[in-house]
Amino acid sequence: MLPPGFAQRMRGLVGTDGVVDRPESLLVYECDGYTLERAAPEAVVLPRTPAEVAQVIRALWKDGVPFVPRGAGTGLSGGTLPVEAPVMVCTSRLQKIESIDIANRRVVAQAGVVNLWVSRAVKDAGLHFAPDPSSQNACTIGGNVAENSGGPHTLKYGVTTNHVLGLELVLPTGEVVQLGGPVEDRPGYDLTGLVVGSEGTLGLVTRATLRLTRVPESYRTFLAVFDSVADASEAVSGIIASGIIPAALEMMDGLILRAVEDAFHAGLPVDAGAVLLIELDGPEAGLPSQSEEVRELCKAQGAVEVRTARDDAERTLLWKARKRAFGAVGRLAPNYCTQDGVVPRTQVPEILRRISATAEKHSLRIGNVFHAGDGNIHPIILFDERNAGEVERVLAAGTEILEACVALGGSVTGEHGIGVEKIAQMPLLFSPEDLHAMATLRSVFDPQRRANPHKLLPDSKVCVEARAPRRQAAM
Amino acid sequence: MSQSLRTSPFEEAVGAEYVAEATAGDAIDGVAPRWVVEPGSVKEVVEVLKVAHQRDLTVIGRGLGRHLTLGNPPRRADVIVSLGRMNRVLAYEPADMTVRVQAGCSLVALGSALHENDQWLPLDPPRAPRTTIGGVLATNLAGPLRASQGTARDLLIGIRTVGPDGTVVSGGGKVVKNVAGYDLPKAHVGALGTLGIIVDATFKVRPRPQHEGALEISCSDGAYAAGLALELRDTCEPFWLQIANDGAPPKPWRVIVGAGGRHEEVVAAVESYRATAEARGALSRTVPNAAEVRRDLADASAQLAHVVLKAATLATRVGAWLDVLETAAVRVGATPRFHADLVCGVIRMSIDSGSAENLGELVAELRPRFEDEGGSLIVERATSTQKEGLSEVGGVWGDPGPGLSLMRGLKEAFDPAGRLAPGRYVGGL
Repeated sequence: MLPPGFAQRMRGLVGTDGVVDRPESLLVYECDGYTLERAAPEAVVLPRTPAEVAQVIRALWKDGVPFVPRGAGTGLSGGTLPVEAPVMVCTSRLQKIESIDIANRRVVAQAGVVNLWVSRAVKDAGLHFAPDPSSQNACTIGGNVAENSGGPHTLKYGVTTNHVLGLELVLPTGEVVQLGGPVEDRPGYDLTGLVVGSEGTLGLVTRATLRLTRVPESYRTFLAVFDSVADASEAVSGIIASGIIPAALEMMDGLILRAVEDAFHAGLPVDAGAVLLIELDGPEAGLPSQSEEVRELCKAQGAVEVRTARDDAERTLLWKARKRAFGAVGRLAPNYCTQDGVVPRTQVPEILRRISATAEKHSLRIGNVFHAGDGNIHPIILFDERNAGEVERVLAAGTEILEACVALGGSVTGEHGIGVEKIAQMPLLFSPEDLHAMATLRSVFDPQRRANPHKLLPDSKVCVEARAPRRQAAM
Repeated sequence: MSQSLRTSPFEEAVGAEYVAEATAGDAIDGVAPRWVVEPGSVKEVVEVLKVAHQRDLTVIGRGLGRHLTLGNPPRRADVIVSLGRMNRVLAYEPADMTVRVQAGCSLVALGSALHENDQWLPLDPPRAPRTTIGGVLATNLAGPLRASQGTARDLLIGIRTVGPDGTVVSGGGKVVKNVAGYDLPKAHVGALGTLGIIVDATFKVRPRPQHEGALEISCSDGAYAAGLALELRDTCEPFWLQIANDGAPPKPWRVIVGAGGRHEEVVAAVESYRATAEARGALSRTVPNAAEVRRDLADASAQLAHVVLKAATLATRVGAWLDVLETAAVRVGATPRFHADLVCGVIRMSIDSGSAENLGELVAELRPRFEDEGGSLIVERATSTQKEGLSEVGGVWGDPGPGLSLMRGLKEAFDPAGRLAPGRYVGGL
């Protein structure tokens, strides 16, 4: 499919070690964290610099070859699955933090810089990059920009788009455009805001100017233990209604708790129906009274116990347990599939009831570990692919849950993106006119659909062969 | 205006009583429209735009009309679509902390609905009581609260617009976290209605702070004030932080820093600011009515018949630029007033309209220096005559940067005939 001499020409641009085209080496690239569908690209190109990215894309443009951008491949909606795009352009070698401006709280990072590296680089100055997806020690800034990533602390601090001020974008022609920059308020349309969350379909982002946020002066981290998911949900509503905005407000149900405790021995109550991991942060002066209020609110909703992390080590352990919960789920079943949906906060109890009904209907076990304060659910469907018909039931259950989210006024994705996984659900949320407007926006950047074709928008009848699902990675 | 009311093409769309021939007061930068139309529903907005489409008429959306001075003079303005009748709160669920509201609803009307539940939409543009939701979105104007709360861009989660041919398009949704599809609402924030008429919007709302406090520090000059403000920013995250000079001698420069939250938080923050000021040997004074002072500061730049220049730069450059701006203004015989947000790097300089004869010269001198540093200098308020004097120096906006060709593409894709507020935006869009 690729033009003759393609790999050779690419090696000329990015070095001999920068092109992967042996079939056995390409297997690594056949899926990202969404493993239900797989397809290997014909070649993977790994440029070393933003300039090389532009050269590679210019060459692809001339050859008429569509491409898929990829960072660390931790995405969860199949955004990096090659669909009628034989070449993958991987930004993982663009690892430079190019400038750090502490006084102005700005960082310019290349696309392949890992999320956590940014916060580490500015830690001594008391700053950090606020978006903290659970995969933050692997996922890249380029991927965060593409997916508009969230994380547990977005409840108070917002998602990626609230912390990105500028981008360098390579258009599908290879033309390089600087959008925004360290200074805010440049006149004109908010192109940076449109590119964030566009899942690589408007071009390839090579650099991002990020806003840094001060690390809070103090924290209080609580583990509130409840007999049931319903009680815990009511406590979530109570806390939000009280006017306190916790930095994070996370729920784990009993099924997940037991798996996590087996894996990490964090001292979690294995008999509980659900726990809330609640974090308050900010200036020390405001924390004692807020803490007292949170404890009272939890008790009033039937919390059997509210533990406080005594020190930083305990806090770290609780967060480790939460952020690695997905990994621990592997102990419960040979396979699992993570869903991502959103409901209005008041509908959290209702969606949990519906998830439980769905589990029963399809004879599946479904665990819940999620961002309760945002109404962003992550049901984890457990299964064994070797059982006949089970994969079909898993897919049906996932669809049912997403449809329930929409019916309750929510969305089919809060942070994982549409990718290939949820294209079929887009019409549940958007009218044909809305979708047409999105296609129009795309045509401004990429009229020929060369950048990550067949993602995000229902644009054609292309099908990817659905393969047996395996493990689904952490969100 | 030969066309009489009876023959107005919009009568059928909205009913005769909601179509009026435009008067002199409806002119935008001296460009007189022919009709003012007041639709009462999205359906009527659609009908109005369909008629405008068929007759090739240009359309400009209007709320309460307080911010129409922003932008270049329109090339044409046939129809004003006034959203004043579409002023309802459509859905408000306090426990969800989201609100869906029609574009013509004023910030103050929305504010009182939210206030009942100790919540607010923390947007404080100048003239907030006379600003609509559509207005604050189309202009993306913000006040002191921006330092901690962001702008409309950060609070908007969903939008509904009507395009130039009457097509209704929704973007975003109703929940606080949502990454389904492109973030279309962003396209309309600050776009002056050039991509569609905003008819309703959904926002995240926040709890109102239980208490507010503020500290004021007198300063010798702008550079000193900016240096102090930078230290205050690093002392404790401010709720808001303004540098002001309202022209009154002998010591006109002040830094005012606000704190918000629980009583004990506010007390602690104000004390920490005081300590920072004292360490520098600066005299500070507790502001007794912090929320009122904050609102006054939001209004300050727009209060008088002033020309307002808005410069954007980095926090560390604010002090140097205050000095440059002051010198340049004095040189053209103006007495400048300043209101700067150090956290966001935004400086507003207002000068008496009378002393702004040389506005073009001033902009020509200053603008390239900001743009060379990646910043910008826009003329946020000026009379139509003053704006005419800017045509040689990049209009009110200046250079939008290398994204201009994509912006042009966006405009052409969403408004191919250029009938929505033509010429008002950057690059003549």
